[in-house]
Amino acid sequence: MNLSTKSRYGLMALANLLNQDCCCSVKKISEAEHISSDYLEKIFSKLKKAGILKVERGACGGYSINGDPKKITLSKVVNALEKAEFTCPDFCTCQSKSVWQKIQSGFGYVLSSITLDQLSNFKNKSIYLDYAASTPVDSEVLATMLPYFSQNYSGNTMSLHKYGNSASQIVESCRQTFADILKVKSSEIIFTSSATESNNTVLKGVAFANKSKGKHIIISSIEHDCVLNSAKWLETQGFEISQISVDKFGLLNLDELKKTIRPDTILVSIIHGNNEIGTIQDLASIGQICHDRGVYFHTDASQSFTKTPINLSKLNIDLLTASSHKIYGPKGSALLYIKTGTKITPLLHGGGHEFGFRSSTVNLPAIVGFTKAAEIAIKNFDQEKEKLTKIRDYLINNILKTIPDSHLNGHPTKRLFNNINISFDRVEGESLLLELDFFGIAASTGSACSSMSLEPSHVLLATGLKSEQAHGSLRFSLGRFSTKAEADYLLEVLPQVINKFRALSPFKG
Amino acid sequence: MYSKKVFEHFRNPHNFGSMDNPTVVGQVGNLACGDVMKLYLKIAKNKQGQDFIKDIKFETLGCAAAIATSSVVTDLTKGKTLTEALKITNKDVVKALDDLPTIKIHCSLLAIDALTEAIYSFYKKTNQPISADFEQKHNRIINCQTRLKH
Ligand code: FES
Repeated sequence: MNLSTKSRYGLMALANLLNQDCCCSVKKISEAEHISSDYLEKIFSKLKKAGILKVERGACGGYSINGDPKKITLSKVVNALEKAEFTCPDFCTCQSKSVWQKIQSGFGYVLSSITLDQLSNFKNKSIYLDYAASTPVDSEVLATMLPYFSQNYSGNTMSLHKYGNSASQIVESCRQTFADILKVKSSEIIFTSSATESNNTVLKGVAFANKSKGKHIIISSIEHDCVLNSAKWLETQGFEISQISVDKFGLLNLDELKKTIRPDTILVSIIHGNNEIGTIQDLASIGQICHDRGVYFHTDASQSFTKTPINLSKLNIDLLTASSHKIYGPKGSALLYIKTGTKITPLLHGGGHEFGFRSSTVNLPAIVGFTKAAEIAIKNFDQEKEKLTKIRDYLINNILKTIPDSHLNGHPTKRLFNNINISFDRVEGESLLLELDFFGIAASTGSACSSMSLEPSHVLLATGLKSEQAHGSLRFSLGRFSTKAEADYLLEVLPQVINKFRALSPFKG
Repeated sequence: MYSKKVFEHFRNPHNFGSMDNPTVVGQVGNLACGDVMKLYLKIAKNKQGQDFIKDIKFETLGCAAAIATSSVVTDLTKGKTLTEALKITNKDVVKALDDLPTIKIHCSLLAIDALTEAIYSFYKKTNQPISADFEQKHNRIINCQTRLKH
């Protein structure tokens, strides 16, 4: 037996009423919830009789909740509207009688344990689970940045007057901070405008500076688009690109890498923590392989920087990309580490800023913000790692447990502590995203339908997923402000959403 | 990026689910992204003795646009004679949804194709003459399908 339409609509309308600031007319609620106003009027008059609603007069006339919504249970509401019975008739002594009795008491128990207040909390939520796409600027970061827009720092770092001087001092101290974090020399850090720019600089800059050695470049099959598309462009310029495959967890095939490196290979570029599936590569082994063969090794650490320790003094890495807006810093700020002696041509020619590697007047406030963001992230590393790993695993385990035909993408343990990527059979990601958005949950997907090219995620396909599995994938990425309560809310909503679209699908489980 | 109408049909789709004993079924997959749509039709004779769509239901695996177009196609065709239903184009569907983003226009074709296929198989089943035009349309859809499988 089902809850009747009466109870369903009654609860919907009450939740709506609670979310309004003042009392409301039946008309307003009926419009908002798409319920006929005559029908709602009848429901409300019953609820009034039961003392759940009261009528307000005056300018803002209409109904309002009578009493504290924290004290009104759903069972009070449902009982006011109908007699929900699961038992067989009294005289009946059938064998299933005890089952029905259990259902009846379970039903009553659940309804009396939820209050109207909790019901309305379900709505109007806004839960951001797309931190891997971008993060909000930390308020402390913003506060640190603001003074650097002032006149004192208005100079070009290249100018010799005091304004240029003070700006230049600040940039150098920021550079030193990153050098300390990565355990390198400060002259090896250059500031850029984005990870995309850093990666473009590496691919194109190394390619053009080392043409005389060779024209062969190696990347993985799970690179971010900015590396992949730079490599594709280089192909049109006469360079040869090899893509190293990954296993089903997204880990690089090291034997294949060894075999693919040739005398004319000039660069190996492998993403560190993958942006989609979160798999973390073994930088030490890859670096060793490249080092032994005398090939430059670049890693795109946009997602992993400050989320996993990177000590460049111990790793054979020649170039590394890190980004500000992934770590609660401002957008438009990133860095590129270039080991001393690395042959690389700049992308931007001009006044010779950043040791001649990247001309452009430096964006002082953005660099200051990026630096502050990195300091905060390093300071909070242990705490954040512990908290987010817990939430991540809690979500992964519970989603896999409660939603049938769901599969984890990426590595179970060698993964970014904030990344969750799961495929659900027989559903499509774009529709899931939009439905989740109605519940206030922001996530992302590898579905073809949501990409501009209508191609499913190349990363998921590279791990051996079929297109239809990539189609039904969702990525939830956690961040500093994620909570267990948010995770619980997702666990409440997600099964309903998946069920809705599975019911719509022509394929049945 | 979607119109209000698309959202309405997406959130509360009309006529969805499977149907017991449909007269015919039309199922197509979309070439561009591998999505699938299935239409169930119950066909009967109206008072004038013409075949008409007495009931129609859909099941769709695809994006919000695919679900919304499926829903709208069931609305546009329910109660129509087969001749009328065949005249509906994807432009009508897009119009009924107050427009679709360009990149999603192909999703509206999916729905029209499923309808065409369902009616085609009804004509075959009942040995009705099939115009050259209709045959061509059917062949185009079938071609897409086989290309998709490779
Ligand atoms: S169904 Fe894939 S884009 Fe519409």
